[in-house]
Amino acid sequence: MTDMRTAAIAANRFGFGARPGDLRAIAGDPRGWIKAQFAPQASMPAPIAALPPGEDDLLAFGRWIAARRLRRGNAEGIERQAERQGVSDEELRMLSTEEDFIATFRSRAVTAIGARIEAAITSSAPARERAVHFWSNHFTVSAAKPAAIALPPSFEREAIRPHVAGNFTDMLAASTQHPGMLIYLDNWLSVGPNSVAVQRRARRAHGQGQLTGINENLAREILELHTLGVGGGYGQADVQSLAAILTGWTYDRPRLIDYVREARGERSGASLFEFDAPAHEPGAHMLLGRVYLEGGVAQGERALADLAQHPSTARFIATKLTRHYIADDPPPTAVARVAAAYARSDGDLRATMDAVVDCDEAWADPFAKFKRPEEYAISALRAANIQTLPVGAGAAAIGAMGQRVYAAPGPDGWSDRAESWLSADLVYKRIEFAQTYGERTARADIDARQIGEDALGPLFSADTRQAVQRAESPAQALTLLFASPEFQRR
Amino acid sequence: MQLSRRLLLAAGGAALSFPALSWAQAGGAKKLVLVVLRGGLDGLAALAPIGDPDYTRVRGRLAQADALALNGMFALHPRLPKFNALYQAGELLPVHACATPYRERSHFDAQNVLESGAAQPFGRDSGWLNAALGTLSTSAGRERGLALSAQAPLVLRGPNAVATWSPSALPAPASDTIARVMDLYERSDPALATALHGAIAANSLVDGADGAGARGPRAVSALARVAATFLRQTDGPTAAVVEMSGWDTHANQGLEQGPLARNLGALDDGLDTLKTELGPAWRDTLVVIITEFGRTAAPNGAGGTDHGTAAAAFLAGGVVAGGRVLSDWPGLSAGALLERRDLRPTTDLRAVLKGALADHLRVSSAALGRDVFPDSAALAPIQGLLRA
Repeated sequence: MTDMRTAAIAANRFGFGARPGDLRAIAGDPRGWIKAQFAPQASMPAPIAALPPGEDDLLAFGRWIAARRLRRGNAEGIERQAERQGVSDEELRMLSTEEDFIATFRSRAVTAIGARIEAAITSSAPARERAVHFWSNHFTVSAAKPAAIALPPSFEREAIRPHVAGNFTDMLAASTQHPGMLIYLDNWLSVGPNSVAVQRRARRAHGQGQLTGINENLAREILELHTLGVGGGYGQADVQSLAAILTGWTYDRPRLIDYVREARGERSGASLFEFDAPAHEPGAHMLLGRVYLEGGVAQGERALADLAQHPSTARFIATKLTRHYIADDPPPTAVARVAAAYARSDGDLRATMDAVVDCDEAWADPFAKFKRPEEYAISALRAANIQTLPVGAGAAAIGAMGQRVYAAPGPDGWSDRAESWLSADLVYKRIEFAQTYGERTARADIDARQIGEDALGPLFSADTRQAVQRAESPAQALTLLFASPEFQRR
Repeated sequence: MQLSRRLLLAAGGAALSFPALSWAQAGGAKKLVLVVLRGGLDGLAALAPIGDPDYTRVRGRLAQADALALNGMFALHPRLPKFNALYQAGELLPVHACATPYRERSHFDAQNVLESGAAQPFGRDSGWLNAALGTLSTSAGRERGLALSAQAPLVLRGPNAVATWSPSALPAPASDTIARVMDLYERSDPALATALHGAIAANSLVDGADGAGARGPRAVSALARVAATFLRQTDGPTAAVVEMSGWDTHANQGLEQGPLARNLGALDDGLDTLKTELGPAWRDTLVVIITEFGRTAAPNGAGGTDHGTAAAAFLAGGVVAGGRVLSDWPGLSAGALLERRDLRPTTDLRAVLKGALADHLRVSSAALGRDVFPDSAALAPIQGLLRA
């Protein structure tokens, strides 16, 4: 038996909306359609696979910083490094002719954002793609921080994407060890005050400007935003302990010679995560009542694994997932069921997602959630069966609606509550988007009534059908469809 | 379509929008405009200490010869003639050598401190202006704060609802289309209908304020005009925030010409536009212009200046007790400079802001020391910034 209504809920609530034909394919088994997308093996979407790896982003960013210093004439440090690393004056000049930051990074960012949007509008596994966006927002690395500007796309691809159907413990470890996160939340600046590195510097007594202390930023956000959540049962002493445990967690910083090799087109072979043992604060540390003995990088890996399995984490993750998929204020029964599935499976995200899908509350009210701008834009593009976009087009529109892709304002990511997106200005901009893409999509052979039917099935309301029917032009018909309440909610 | 009961209640309970067009002419309500200069304004260029014996030596090629002297000690940049006119009229109060408690040199962290009001970066995830507005009594469903940007900046983010308005990159929908969309919303989605009503009211106020002229440094005048349009309405917002970037002048910042001069000229025009457009409401308005940090005292090798510490700030408006410079001047001699490179902070910017908020918006000192600027109870507000 086919159930088009449930299919429409599945496509919109768990995916990125339906393309023409999707609902009929989903209707046989809507819940199964979602669950099948979380199979352990999944191929990387082609636009994402085509992006450069994080190593390249790091190299390009570092190279630009070096080039900028050279151009501005405050290059003493760079020249000393060049001498140490055997980089010639001619090679340095090659670096300093590097094009402008904007030229370099805007094009990289535009390409990466375009790939994220294209992967979502063309995906045949949109529920899995949505999960990538969810977890990438849970572990926010934002280009709003200049030092991290080059890294959110490779962070998402390398730390998040491989684990959305895997285990949360692995995702937490991958996130915490990725240069994107290490830079965004400053852990690469954190060194143990009693570490070998600091002691050595103190003896040399010219440590001015060198790092000498712990930066708690990453540790605090791991506890507050990534695992236990506010009120999850930790205190300032736990923040300090975790920060100490994570000292030395940094990334393989490219050297000047690596930039030169990169400029010559030779890959440097840099790796990403690096445990800098001399910067690590030695000793045992107590976290949440448990003692973690000295053990180098393994000390931190054990602590993160325990945090991932903590009951507060199960509850926090379950709350965020059900808030994202079911309702801004999720029903306590649903939260409890998803938390139990998380705990029972030791943080298996496939089992956890299955539990969300199996909540009857997820299927009760088709319009409980207001789409965020990016979801909204992607669902309109999918409905219109647009496969590719002009470079930069989608990103600009989504930014105008208030959600700059890969640039959330803070480490807590984008809000999952309707009131954040229902302001007068932002709602008006969604109508502008609806009109712009209505006009772009409208052709004589496109029937907005059919697009509405294909995208919304039985959720396509009589009022909107009538408005579409009476529109003065195909473009206005599509505008009304995209602006309609049922198209903006899920 | 069906809507959940909860959603209907939410839509009925809190109208996130501008009030409809029942606004009459303004009368006496205090208004605040905060201008955030992002990138680090070179305070020694904007407000040059020409009377300091070390000024010419330290500033070198960036020493001003044609600045607009305010007194024997300080002179405004030649591209700030409107600032100068306000000063002469007693409506501009420059503050020099002031800084937040932040002492490092990251834009990101410094702006975080500037806007959150906390003593260290990421001390909290909401802003001091949001907290200050939260202490005011508000008629239901009226936002007290307005950001002239698609997303409210940190200084305005927080538990109290604020409005945003920004020029659009996309073409405006036809009015017939809007009417049809509104009909759909009114039939089935009160939350969307309320928001759209608010947008229509707002757009009718700023008729013609499309994207034109609202990009680049000139944007500040366009945004100032929009800000004034909202503020001068009775029961319009109390505070508006305008942001202006482009102050990170590491290279070739110039003297009378160049990128810094252009930016200052645009700021000068923006302030003048605000005064003109506010009309009689200027009498009850306080404009606060702040930046995250100042810049190095001496030029770098590229004719620019690098990230520094203390900067200049400006208070303007009809309520200001101006025509004087507020500064405990630290001097520019090598020993006076912070780390031998930056203007040394002698005034805590929070004390200035606390004094302004206390006198202008009657925010209590308890709230200022706890909710607005956390853990700052020991820091006394500066008295007498505004006319008694």
